[in-house]
Order: sequence, then C-alpha cells, then structure tokens
Amino acid sequence: MSEMSVSVSAPTVHPGSQPLPEAPAKVTARNLNFYYGEHHALKNINLALGTNRVTAFIGPSGCGKSTLLRIFNRMYDLYPGQRATGQLLLDHTNILDPKLDLNLLRARVGMVFQKPTPFPMTIYENIAFGIRLYEKISKSEMDDRVEKALRGGALWNEVKDKLNASGLSLSGGQQQRLCIARTVAVRPEVILFDEPCSALDPISTAKVEELIQELSENYTIAIVTHNMQQAARVSDKTAFMYLGELIEFDDTSKIFTSPSDRRTQDYITGRFG
Amino acid sequence: MAVQSDVIDDAGPYDRAKALGAFKLGDVTFYWITRLSAISVLLILGGIILSLVVGAFPAMKEYGLSFLWTQRWAPSADPPVLGALGPIYGTLITSFIAMLIAIPVGLGIAIFLTELCPQWLRRPIGMAVELLAGIPSIIYGMWGFFVLGPFLANTFQPFMIKVFDGVPVLGAIFAGPPSYLSLFNAALILAIMVLPFITSISVDVFKTVPPVLKEAAYGVGCTTWEVVRSVVIPYTRVGIIGGVMLALGRALGETMAVTFIIGNSFRISSSIFAPGTTISAAIASEFAESDGLHQSGLILLGLLLFVLTFFVLAAARLMLMRLETKAGK
Repeated sequence: MSEMSVSVSAPTVHPGSQPLPEAPAKVTARNLNFYYGEHHALKNINLALGTNRVTAFIGPSGCGKSTLLRIFNRMYDLYPGQRATGQLLLDHTNILDPKLDLNLLRARVGMVFQKPTPFPMTIYENIAFGIRLYEKISKSEMDDRVEKALRGGALWNEVKDKLNASGLSLSGGQQQRLCIARTVAVRPEVILFDEPCSALDPISTAKVEELIQELSENYTIAIVTHNMQQAARVSDKTAFMYLGELIEFDDTSKIFTSPSDRRTQDYITGRFG
Repeated sequence: MAVQSDVIDDAGPYDRAKALGAFKLGDVTFYWITRLSAISVLLILGGIILSLVVGAFPAMKEYGLSFLWTQRWAPSADPPVLGALGPIYGTLITSFIAMLIAIPVGLGIAIFLTELCPQWLRRPIGMAVELLAGIPSIIYGMWGFFVLGPFLANTFQPFMIKVFDGVPVLGAIFAGPPSYLSLFNAALILAIMVLPFITSISVDVFKTVPPVLKEAAYGVGCTTWEVVRSVVIPYTRVGIIGGVMLALGRALGETMAVTFIIGNSFRISSSIFAPGTTISAAIASEFAESDGLHQSGLILLGLLLFVLTFFVLAAARLMLMRLETKAGK
C-alpha cells in the first residue's frame, strides 16, 4: 500500500483485472505535442482512452503524465505561454479547438486533484454548486442530486447528518471523496484523477481506489499515479511515460508482467525513477 | 569525535558555563528591549488618551452628553454654544459614501489584476495604484478644489437634480444650489485616497488562493466570474474585510484634503451636495485661533473621533470573529 515498497519488485496484478475486451475510444490523441513556452514537454503522444475503462499513467516525476491529463480538460489554458499541437478528440469534438466552450468541456471532463480542494462552503453547497452551474432545479430535486452524488462518492453515510458543516471540516480522505462526489454530480463523461491518493492515508486510499473501480462502470477514467500497485489494482490499461514520450501503452496485466520495453521493465522493478 | 571532546575537556567545564552565561545576559537584554518597546506603545496610547481627556474636560463639564446631539456651533457667542452633531454626521456620511464607491472599484481592480489582466498590463496598473497611494493628501485637496469641485457643481449636480427632482427621498439627497465645496466632493476624494489600500490588500490576499482551488472550480466548469464570486472572495473574505477596515480608518481620520473641499459648515443638510464638515476638518480649521472653552470643545471632538475609530475597528474585529466561527462550525 505505501509507496516505499514499490522498489522491491514488480507489483502483482489484481486477480480480477483480466484484460477486458477492447472498448471504443472516448478520448483519442494523435501526434499530440505540448510546450511550456520553449520547453517541449510532450512529444508525439498517440493513445486512446477506452470508454468506461480505467487508464493509468505511470512514469518518473516530470515525465509529463500530469501535463497530459491537464490537456484533456484544457486546464493549461489558464496559464499564458502553454500550448498544445496535434489532435485530441473527445468522441468527435476537437478538444484543442480554440473556439471550444471551455466551461462545457470541463463539465464533460471532470478532474480530481492531488490535494483535496473543497470549496470554502458547506458540504451540501460544495455539491450543489457545480450542479447549479448547468441546471435550474427545485430544492427537493437538488437534495436528491446531492444525496446521489455523495453516495456516488461513498461519503453519504459519513456526512448525511452534517450537510451544513463546512467542507473544510472533513478529514483529508473525506475531503477527497467530497471532491470526487462534486465531480460526479456534474455528470461528466470522463474523470481525470491527478495522483488522487498521494495526500491520503492507506485506509482512505483503499476507499478511493474502490470508488474508482465502481465509477469505471459509468465513466471513462484516467488516473496519474506514482504508486505502481495502485496502477496495477485499479486500471485496465497502463501507459508508461518517460521524458515526455509515451514509451509503452498496453493492458495493465501485460505492462506489469511482461513489458516489451526495457525502460518500462526497469521502472516497474524500481531500477530507476 | 574523540578529538573534539579532548578540546572541550582542555577548555574545562567552567569556561563553557561562562560562555553560556554571556549568551544568557544577551538574551535577558534582548527580552527587556523588546518588552520595553511593546510597553512603550501602551504608554504612548495611554498618554494620548489622558491628555485628550484632560484637555476636553472643561467642555465635557459645560455641555455634558448634549454635546453629541447639539447642531449649533457658535464659539464666539457668549457663552459659546458648541455641538458636535454636524461634524459627526459629516464624518460618518463622507466615509460611508467613500466606502460605497471605493469597495466595489477597489475589489474590481484587484480582481482584474489577479484574474483577468494580460501579463504586460499588470505592472503598469499595479504601479499606478501604488502611485495613487503616494500622492500627498494636500494635492488631492487642491485637485478636488480646482478640478473636481467645478465639474461637480457645473455638470454632475445639475444632472442629478434633473434626474431625481420630485423623487421622494433621493430628490432631497441630491437637491440644493450647486457648490464647489460639498460632502460629496470630499467623499469622492476620500474614495480615491483609500482605493489603493483596498486594492493592494485585496491583490495580496487574492494571491494566497491556492491555484489548485481555482483550477478545481474551473474544473467543474465555472466561468471566471463564478470562480471569483464563489471561491476567491469567500476564501479571502477575512483579508478583504481587514483591508476595508484599514481604508475606513483612513477615511474617518483624513484631514487635509477634506478640510480643503468640504466647506466647513456645521449645519446639517439633507443634500450630499451641500457643504458640511468632519471632525478632523473642524479641528484643523479652527484649532489655531481657538482658546478656552472653544479649544476644549475641539479637543473633545478629537476624543470623539478617537472613540469613533475605536468602535469601528472593534466592530470589524467582532464581525471577523463571527465569520470565523461561522466558517468553522
């Protein structure tokens, strides 16, 4: 469970995660390049995220995993000087289209961050806030939606008696599940997880991982993680990235048992990274 | 290791204790110097209050509490009649209008600078705001007198009178003969003077919002307006209120610019375009030629301003405490 044990040997793949049949692509990247100003951070990325599949991104720090994730919802747009070239499709929508409605894109592609980011408002409002951006619904309908989202985030039983407490009053693990519930509440199609468990204790981590597995029944999921066991446990496909390049992208069981690239082999057995 | 302990043994334990003793003396000195500095603040504050009370005592004895609600100010009558209602009203109303203008504009500038402004424009605007804070108040006074006053009297006020003529309450607020010197002119100058306080403090606290929190809000599909309204301002409200209170303190006490343009009239008029006075303006314009009971009355005015500012700051503190308990419940 802890990240310390990663370096000993390649993690064993979850017995339940036999390779699933190929799923139709939800997000497709073709010759995707990314630049931080002059710095060429991602080089010719080609891959597809299968619909309702979990895709894990692993690789040493600075290899571009998080960068790639932040292109999927155009988060990089907030910062001047960052740009992407190539092709990136969400179904048939071109994500890189400068005229694309970003608010709509981010409703379709939700994101959960490394550190829990509850908004400075009550637990109820944290969920209702996102819903209200897109829908005008009555109070009772909203109550239903909030409950459903909190159940979706596996948090309902813990917070149902204190929905009016501040979101910041929850523990770190609960806050992270609140953020997942908030993301789910908007009914996205894709959910991006950027190292969602790196600030959590092992028990909260287990809960979040379980949640990710459940969510994959209805959502396409991409997860960046430094924890190889986590990638092995939750994902169907794994992408190994190194120095801005996609080195290997295959079924998770294949990556962790018989990787075809030497560098992948070295990384998952802890020889570098 | 062995070598080191030999050296210490040679020096002997006595020397070490002595060396430490020297440090101890330094520590004690340091403690007392900082302590005296802190105590001096209390002494100065206490001394000012004491001298104000002593100076104001004759007027307090003569007029009692009715000083607070008497409007007439006739220092040359025999015996002098002094009432503080005019200056108190003027102080409160000019500060109120100034904050009404400065808070939205100041926050607007801060939001633009931190969230929306293109990089190349950030420095020029930021510097302009800081320069605004550096202009001496007498310059604001002159500008208000020669530029803003005529504009208000000749253009703005006739327009407002025409628009609101006959409207029940607003009509009275904007009525009256055009005047260069008015409460509104002073309030406008005050608004410009306190704007940099609100803006620079707001910019600083807006910068403390973690980028990932803003990204999370953008991540659920918020527009910039929604991010600012629902995340940035709630997250920073304690800091913003602090900035606003600092600005209010400045507005309540500002003297020179206001004395120049407020008209120094102790009569209370319903119109904000009429001349008025504030506590500090009244003191500044009359203190040099005053004596006896008149001077004591002015000192009592000063004491009132002191108390007024104290209550404003105390109210702000209370409000902050309320907000904090509410956020943490």
